[in-house]
Amino acid sequence: MTIQETQLRVPPVSENPRPLYSSRMPILGNDVLHSWTERVRKLGVQSLWLTSAPDRDTNNDKINTNEAESTIWSGLRRFARQGVERFLMITLKSYAEMDLADLVRFHCENRNPVTEARDGRRQLGVCLLDHSVLDPSNADHGKHEFPGANDAGRVPYQFRGYAKRILSAKERQELVGDALTGACAMRPFGKQIREQVWIGEGVDLAESVRVIGPTYIGEHTVVRAGVTIGPFASVERDCVVDCGTTVERSTVLPYTYLAPGLLIRNGLVDGRYLEDLAGGAVVDLEPAGLGSRIERPESRRQAVRDTHIPRHDFLGAPARANATLTWDFASTSTATQPWLRVQL
Amino acid sequence: MKNDTARVSANVLPFPSILPFPAASNTPVGRALRRDLLNTLRASRSAVIVDLSDRATLNHDDIGLLLECVAEVAGRDTQLLFVAGSRVNRVILEVTRISSLVPVFNSAKEAMAYQNSPEEVLAYPQIAAERLADKQRWSA
Repeated sequence: MTIQETQLRVPPVSENPRPLYSSRMPILGNDVLHSWTERVRKLGVQSLWLTSAPDRDTNNDKINTNEAESTIWSGLRRFARQGVERFLMITLKSYAEMDLADLVRFHCENRNPVTEARDGRRQLGVCLLDHSVLDPSNADHGKHEFPGANDAGRVPYQFRGYAKRILSAKERQELVGDALTGACAMRPFGKQIREQVWIGEGVDLAESVRVIGPTYIGEHTVVRAGVTIGPFASVERDCVVDCGTTVERSTVLPYTYLAPGLLIRNGLVDGRYLEDLAGGAVVDLEPAGLGSRIERPESRRQAVRDTHIPRHDFLGAPARANATLTWDFASTSTATQPWLRVQL
Repeated sequence: MKNDTARVSANVLPFPSILPFPAASNTPVGRALRRDLLNTLRASRSAVIVDLSDRATLNHDDIGLLLECVAEVAGRDTQLLFVAGSRVNRVILEVTRISSLVPVFNSAKEAMAYQNSPEEVLAYPQIAAERLADKQRWSA
């Protein structure tokens, strides 16, 4: 195995055109980062590095994209100087049921310095790089996100399995639909109580609630009297849906309160904000008293942070076995994350 | 159904009123403007278009006032139409289900055009408004 380190780049919220959406948000109780780390683990790689960078569409800060990308590349060059020969770089742009070993095989057989995985003509955000690409004297250096990938004569890896780009809330909702109907291997994180209906642990459903499949209700969510959930709805963990509200073809993200009598159709609700999937408008529900963020207990917050990623250390710092990982999957923060090493 | 059509056609007057939706305010002036809107609705015999175009978004008090407007014309011949003016306002009207009670338009011009529509359309305002919205979505 020539791959010594693997980089997983976690894009910030602003990497997608929708201001609300982040690929760190849970999907039916699962998270995309975890699904990729599992695939990396199957390669036999013992550790990976996580990083995040601000992006071009951020409204508040005019963050210099070149600066952000150069931060990523300087990190990669540093790894190369430490003797890493080959990099597997994954940006969380997609959910793909990809056998990474097959990608590595393809890369080695074709002897390309860069191999990019594609679904038809679209990038999936998965790329293998040889350390030669990071050499500053190389003409490709720093030109693209995946340098050299678009050059003629370099054959991309064509992935033919299930893949879904998840750069927007709309694409994310399509993945939710596929998972609920069994079109992909992702399964809702809960107990299947009837055909295409999954319920997480500790869900509190009033007797008059109508649940229309395909639907998922995440753990510890409270659904009050007269509510209708579904079809194609996903109410993630620790939400409260108040009396008479309907959630249809929509996702409600964790720790969201929805007021009584609402109609949430084709939307993504994250706390006080609703993104309309049809028109793309983001609406603040709180001034009208229609929705809000539920304050999560500190104990629960800690549990979420520690899920899936047991050990890590920071780039250039000594390993700290019990350090707290400040990774908030529901967060919409755009702050640059440092490089984090995760032991698999 | 015949009665419905007859009721609506009796209501169609050449000049519907267009009323701007007052800004949310707890000042005496703000409260007076809101009272005026309801009084105008109460007195109106023609169609009334309430225009929310000047409002960037709607708060709790605004939703309350919109529902009072709906209640004011309920059971009367006065037809009420809302101009959302923005996608954000339209989404709030949909989420609160107000758009299922009152036809919602993107502009006063559209609302006026709707007001001059054939009687069959006016007898089923919600369906007509949805069709119009679909048509605009496709043409966009």
